[in-house]
Amino acid sequence: MTVSGQTMVIDYIPVPVSVLQVIDEAPGVKTFSLSAPQDEMAFEAGQFVQISVFGYGEAPFTICSSPAQRHHFEICVSAVGRVSNALHRLAAGDRVGMRGPFGNPFPLERARGKDLFFVAGGTGMACLRSVISHCREHRSDYGRLIIASGVKSPEQRLFVPDLRLWHQDDQTELHETVDKADETWQGRVGVVADIINEIDFNPRNIIAFVVGPPIVFRFAAQNFLEKGVAEENIYFSLERRFQCGVGKCGHCQINDLYVCQDGPVFSYSQLKARSEAVEATLPDS
Amino acid sequence: MQSSIRTFAAADLPTLLHDWVCSQPVMGPKERRDQPGFYYFDWIESRDAELKRLARLLADGYGATTIPPKTAFFPTREPLFRFATDGHVVPEKKEQEKDFLLVGVHPCDLAALSLLDRAYGYPPADGRWRQRRRLATIVGIDCLPDDYCFCTSMGTSASRDGCDLFLTPIDGGFLAEVHSSKGQELLQGTHTEEAREKDLLAGEDFLGKKIAATGPRLQTGLEEFAEILEKTDLSDVWERTAQRCYSCGSCNTTCPTCFCFDMEDSLESNLTSGVRYRSWGSCQLLDFALIAGGTNTRDIRCQRVAHRWHRKFLYLQRQFDRPYCTGCGRCSRACTADINIVDVCNELIKLAKEKK
Repeated sequence: MTVSGQTMVIDYIPVPVSVLQVIDEAPGVKTFSLSAPQDEMAFEAGQFVQISVFGYGEAPFTICSSPAQRHHFEICVSAVGRVSNALHRLAAGDRVGMRGPFGNPFPLERARGKDLFFVAGGTGMACLRSVISHCREHRSDYGRLIIASGVKSPEQRLFVPDLRLWHQDDQTELHETVDKADETWQGRVGVVADIINEIDFNPRNIIAFVVGPPIVFRFAAQNFLEKGVAEENIYFSLERRFQCGVGKCGHCQINDLYVCQDGPVFSYSQLKARSEAVEATLPDS
Repeated sequence: MQSSIRTFAAADLPTLLHDWVCSQPVMGPKERRDQPGFYYFDWIESRDAELKRLARLLADGYGATTIPPKTAFFPTREPLFRFATDGHVVPEKKEQEKDFLLVGVHPCDLAALSLLDRAYGYPPADGRWRQRRRLATIVGIDCLPDDYCFCTSMGTSASRDGCDLFLTPIDGGFLAEVHSSKGQELLQGTHTEEAREKDLLAGEDFLGKKIAATGPRLQTGLEEFAEILEKTDLSDVWERTAQRCYSCGSCNTTCPTCFCFDMEDSLESNLTSGVRYRSWGSCQLLDFALIAGGTNTRDIRCQRVAHRWHRKFLYLQRQFDRPYCTGCGRCSRACTADINIVDVCNELIKLAKEKK
């Protein structure tokens, strides 16, 4: 039996999918376009898949393409571990295994009619690109789409064609920053969470989606809270090393929560009373 | 229709076991030859000597096996599927596609299997666990405690969860409670009689002796204990315990209700094909909660120690309405640092009372 988030019985056996295209995104980061199993893949923005490189193992990746694309899907991969490094050695035509999609998506029903504020730190943009694409495709369902994106250096910018588009049209308000500029960079320099303080928005009408390293979560949450955004309207997507993806293997447990089943998208209010590295993410109360 | 409680003579047990072994694969307790007094579950051969040994263990009683009987359903390491590195996947043939009989399971271990039924059955259900549980017929047997057992505190002393037949040693034979039609079939080849009043009393007497002989006790109720874990800063005890703990994972490995696992690929020497294995995980090992980029969410030993207690007595208690501890005492017996689970629980309870 194949496996999906909706399947009631799971056997941990992946389905083979083909690598259609490999895009060099940034140094150490590649985007892989993968064929959908049986040419059809239903998922929601924020869900993740378990990708196998046979002989190396399996690792979780959030889907970074639009849910509207059903024939193929994309994952954006930093070469940081065994499976991700093995993925980086693959080329179009190679096959990998896939299980999923798993996990809860971003709460787009709640976000309907609201202004959305996306904060991406580093490869966090890989996780947010799917939901941003979705919101652009359903533009009239939402108010403002504000995007704050921060990377270490200009060469680390991901999805550059998308960024160009998001800059050019009036669908989205994109604010980019880098920690350290070089001669190619004319834009903002500084940390991404500061952008929250520099923009006028109505805190009572904001739903915030934040993805990045713990330091970005921490300062973004602090700034949104100080601006008056409600705790339950600030969302994070967390990363853990899932083995199963379905709340069995135990590796992703944060106190009483399984990140794979209860998350990976959580609101600030869900996390604030919990510990185990979430505290590194949250501002001191 | 037979009555649901029968008796049979001890002398008939070897024949009964022989019938069972001839009709289906049987797994039961064995005593280690190299270390008498230590027990394990294994497949039983139909040789007379082996059946006699099993009959003796069932009649005289045996201590908790070092590794719990969950191995029959969740092997320490099992192949999930074969793969070719080009992406071709072949599901592994399930080893136990036949019905089998698991004999000699103590009440605490029956309770443990039922706890794992809840955890692995929680949607989406684990297909491997479920299939093997469906194939199994289970014969439970009552037991007497050693110094580590504390089933009376965990409410498992008289568990009959999921068993088809349950035996209690009584004078000259066994009381046999039939709990299912499969259990009834097991008795069909042997002479049984309806249990008389005095047989039933002998069964109650056995349980009474067991309860009276169980020494270690939790100094509070289970829901109250969960609340203590939830609401009290218990770091003094966690730190003290962590100072002794070696993070060896023996507690996880011997626990009948631990169900975490790891998955890993193993390549053949041709480097073009291999097997993905699933093996038991351990939340006490340093890298269990390691995440991408090198962050470890429980890199301090006392976090891992606290996690184990929280998971057993709070998180899973809240998710499934039962603590994930059966009082079998295996973790205490196996602990390389001689940490006793009941002692730690009682230290936590004491600290919470002091803090009130």
